[in-house]
Amino acid sequence: MKNILDRNQNKANEVRNLLALKKVMMVNIISSPGAGKTTLLERTCEELGAKFRIGVIEGDITTDRDAQRLKKYNIPIVVINTEGGCHLDSHSISKVLDSFDLDNLEVLFVENVGNLICPSQFDLGETFKLAVVSTAEGDDKPAKYPMLFREARAVLLNKIDLIPYTNFNFNSFSSDLKKINAQIPLFKISCIKGDGLTEWYDWISEKINSYR
Amino acid sequence: MHELRIAEDLSAIVLETAGKENLSKVTKVNISFGQLVQIVPDIFEFAFRETVRNSIAEDAELDIEIVPVKMKCMNCGSDFQVKENRFTCNICSSTDLGIIQGKELYIKSIEGE
Repeated sequence: MKNILDRNQNKANEVRNLLALKKVMMVNIISSPGAGKTTLLERTCEELGAKFRIGVIEGDITTDRDAQRLKKYNIPIVVINTEGGCHLDSHSISKVLDSFDLDNLEVLFVENVGNLICPSQFDLGETFKLAVVSTAEGDDKPAKYPMLFREARAVLLNKIDLIPYTNFNFNSFSSDLKKINAQIPLFKISCIKGDGLTEWYDWISEKINSYR
Repeated sequence: MHELRIAEDLSAIVLETAGKENLSKVTKVNISFGQLVQIVPDIFEFAFRETVRNSIAEDAELDIEIVPVKMKCMNCGSDFQVKENRFTCNICSSTDLGIIQGKELYIKSIEGE
């Protein structure tokens, strides 16, 4: 028996060991395209940028638009263009880690390529994965992509302000999620309106503090 | 789409192993995929064919076993198969579980001559 993704796994283990040594927590953010990963990072950098030393790796299929949006926060950002690839892998992460001053970093957010399935299979060496979903995508995402919701450390349900305009059924979403992962924290947020973000900031701050 | 990348890694391992074992032809590759990794066998087969084109594994048969998800209950110790995404112990209803199988992406064996 040999793991087909051995190469990825070995490199992910190297990344994980290096980051553990440097005490840098790495968060692998996974969502569909347009769920709000970049807006979440904007809000998070605004709120926590003065409190923690934050770095960002932007996985982007072909542009640097997401990175441009984060430039104003004066944090180290590196873009990985996957040139059509549907996920990041540990080799691409390992290559760009040299661009960061890891001794001066406490948390590294990795914005994965927008996709709920492929990124779940590739360990990047992260401390944990974070699943972001938005109400406009529908309430069936946990049921359709159980692996991500099983593996993630927390779920952020974004765009809750749009619920009145969609057929999103929160009870159905929440009961599917609980079936798959009963203990997972769920944050109901709106990155645009600000709802629920305080709980998210508190949770992630506690995670960063306890990792140091 | 992750099928293609996984197929690439698989064919690299198959060809490397075949080289080490001095095979002139790979006839069969036996692999197992856990249900949680959501590989679509037809797409995987297609991707694999592309990645072994013009190699000694070009005509290799691909045998894909899909492994159901099994969990172990950390509370009562029982094992159970997960059905309809229900990650709750059948016996004691605990949700404190460890995975036994269902995330595999394994090569079981490579056959050749």
